[in-house]
Amino acid sequence: MRMSKPLLAIAAFACILSNVALADTLRFSWPSNVGPLNPHLYNPNQMFAQAMVYEPLVKYQANGTVIPWLAASWEASDDGRIYTFELRPNVKFSNGEPFNAAAVVANVNAVLANRAQHDWLELANQIVSAEAVDDLHVRLTLKDPYYPLLQELSLARPFRFVAPSQFENGGTKDGITAPIGTGPWKLVETRLGEKDVFAQNENYWGEKPAYDEIEVKVISDPNTRAIAFETGQIDLIYGAEGQISPDTFERFKATGAFTAELSSPMETNALALNTNHGPTKDIAVRQAINHAVDKDTMIATVLYGTQKRADTLFAPNVPYADIGLKPYSYDPALAAELLDKAGWKLEPGAAVRSRDGVPLAIELCFVGTDAVSKSMAEIVQADLAKVGIEVTLVGEEESSIDARQNDGRFGMIFNRTWGAPYDPHAFVSSMRVPSHADYQAQLGLPDKAEIDAMIGKVLVSTDEKLRQDMYRQIMTRLHEEAVYLPLTYVTAIAVARPELGPIPFAAMSSEIPFEKIHPKGM
Amino acid sequence: MLAFTLRRLLLLVPILLAASLVIFLLLRLGPSDPAMDYLRLSRVPPTPQALEEARRMLGLDQPIVVQYLDWLWRGPSLDFGNSYAPQRPVLPDLLYYLPATLKLAGVALVLALGISFPLGMWAARYRDRFPDQSVRLLAFFGVSMPNFWLGFLLVLVFSVHLGWLPPMGMGGWSHIVMPAFAISLMSLCINARLLRASMLEVKGQRHVTYARLRGLSEISVERSHVLRNALLPIITATGMHIGELIGGTLIIESIFGWPGVGRYAVSAIFNRDYPVIQCFTLLMVGIFVLCNLIVDIVYAWADPRIRLSAEGVQ
Repeated sequence: MRMSKPLLAIAAFACILSNVALADTLRFSWPSNVGPLNPHLYNPNQMFAQAMVYEPLVKYQANGTVIPWLAASWEASDDGRIYTFELRPNVKFSNGEPFNAAAVVANVNAVLANRAQHDWLELANQIVSAEAVDDLHVRLTLKDPYYPLLQELSLARPFRFVAPSQFENGGTKDGITAPIGTGPWKLVETRLGEKDVFAQNENYWGEKPAYDEIEVKVISDPNTRAIAFETGQIDLIYGAEGQISPDTFERFKATGAFTAELSSPMETNALALNTNHGPTKDIAVRQAINHAVDKDTMIATVLYGTQKRADTLFAPNVPYADIGLKPYSYDPALAAELLDKAGWKLEPGAAVRSRDGVPLAIELCFVGTDAVSKSMAEIVQADLAKVGIEVTLVGEEESSIDARQNDGRFGMIFNRTWGAPYDPHAFVSSMRVPSHADYQAQLGLPDKAEIDAMIGKVLVSTDEKLRQDMYRQIMTRLHEEAVYLPLTYVTAIAVARPELGPIPFAAMSSEIPFEKIHPKGM
Repeated sequence: MLAFTLRRLLLLVPILLAASLVIFLLLRLGPSDPAMDYLRLSRVPPTPQALEEARRMLGLDQPIVVQYLDWLWRGPSLDFGNSYAPQRPVLPDLLYYLPATLKLAGVALVLALGISFPLGMWAARYRDRFPDQSVRLLAFFGVSMPNFWLGFLLVLVFSVHLGWLPPMGMGGWSHIVMPAFAISLMSLCINARLLRASMLEVKGQRHVTYARLRGLSEISVERSHVLRNALLPIITATGMHIGELIGGTLIIESIFGWPGVGRYAVSAIFNRDYPVIQCFTLLMVGIFVLCNLIVDIVYAWADPRIRLSAEGVQ
């Protein structure tokens, strides 16, 4: 076949163009397709993708504060029940539709029309009404002076905004026509089981991202993801949810050929110790457990250093949590002494302590298919055996473990805090709900009712100083009672090809800051 | 033959009905709660209200009998409901992913048959000598090796170290070679050994000796008198291999990022996505039964004794 010269030139130019386009695509992977991207619904909409397309009124920062985003400013009434937001002018949805007070009100009403689905989020219950004052001002009226309003408005869902023209049946609970948001990206292609492609939103009001496109390939298996990265099929691995195994992260880091970074603490992985059941009713046993587990070795061996040692239930970078609590140091001798004093004696020839004929045996419950939890549980078991505490490992499937959390059938159970921006307010709030492991674990505390009452008060307190003081009391009380064995602060990981510049971490684990990633040198 | 085929096709109805009941009950016998999994996927705390709402949304608040009858009632109109995890109609999604799986299993079948035939014939021709021993050794490893492990080994060698083949995804032939080979190795090895045994058995029969006495060449005897008669057990085995190959795609598709029903089903199993698991299992039952039917027809065609007895000729 012969090709004419002009045709050859066009073909060569097209090749160059396609290569340029390829160079401007950042390739990422996720276990599933991103879903229809309805900002007001949950699964199968993937949060990181919702956060790429839709934006909040205020944006959460790593230091626990919020900054203006789609709202340029806001003010609260003296009683803390009415918030008036001034919207950022000249913001458009990706289809050119204006983002204004009417769009905000339509979206908030669409969320509230499906309140049952959002019942878990206190803000959805707190908002009484949303009104447009004028084109750029919106007024939200609350039931109570609920201080975490701004934090919860910053969440990836449900309080984000889709163009009202995309509503179906006058709302969003039955679906949306297309995912049209104000964010830096727009979804341009979905191939089921293969990939989703996002392109820059030309109407974006903020700084344009460096990459033209983000291609998100569907890769469900962590090992396959690692190999796809290693063989150049994807450019970035990012996340806090087991995107790759800890040893694979360590391997990539050790090669020195890739960027491999850990974020600051995102959530806490802890064991809840049941104060209402078995030997852990005894505070001496709980404190001894806190002194007996060698977390540093656990992190170095099982987690390959991919997480950080947790000394308190909330990391000091969590709002209101930097209160200087004294950590329970790793000290097996002190643990043994505490147990001896409390009457848990090691009889000659026995491996397990006992008191009044009751052996010091505790069940530790974990999700059986979670290999990392299992290894961590085994280390806890081995460490506690050294001080004469027998730990029985109970590995069950996830919903069975959830059921144990709900009804308190555990001695020790794995439990995670919820991360930013839920920590501490939403996590502390959930301690009052009987279906949570925290509630069940705290049930044996003599002052559980007072703790719950204080949690109720702190959520509607408008005095910042008083709020800090109440948080201090709640956290100190739980720490002193050793209701938890904080194990590690979970971090997000980022592994990237060296062609990408430094990889920034988002303040919330549900977001991935693609718009802040630049090719090296740009 | 037509009546036989129709009778077998009609049998599909009670088989599918029985399978539907067994699958439905088995899934619900376990202690797991799909509403809990739905909330986990949604990253919503499982408060009693949220659980109740999720159960209502997924239709799990109805009694099991009502759920089953509802599912059964909608079955004939090919409405198998919406999946819990991707929240999409199940059957169209399964049919969307099915061609990729059939393509993978088809190539695996071609590989299994295309490689096992020469190997089996080679081993039979040189019984107890080097070719036979090497095929035996290969079969030993091939049958013992789990396909997912082989898949990872192939990726390590051909993608990571040599960089010859892409490790994942669907595209040209280079994408399909490794997953297809990983799935087919076990069937390939079984087939080779089966063909060897079958050929050796036929070789000892009198008509083969007679053919040799007639002065036919060794190749001609092997092809026309040994291989053809030795094929009958291979046809039956192939029917089973098709099932194994499609079953093999379950794990292999996840490893190779192959967008087929196998990976779709594995995700559904992890997420306790009942509608998908039910529909997938029914589809697999249907495919197995149809494959067996085709095998029976081919068998009858290949063996005049069976064909004639089916047609009532004594």
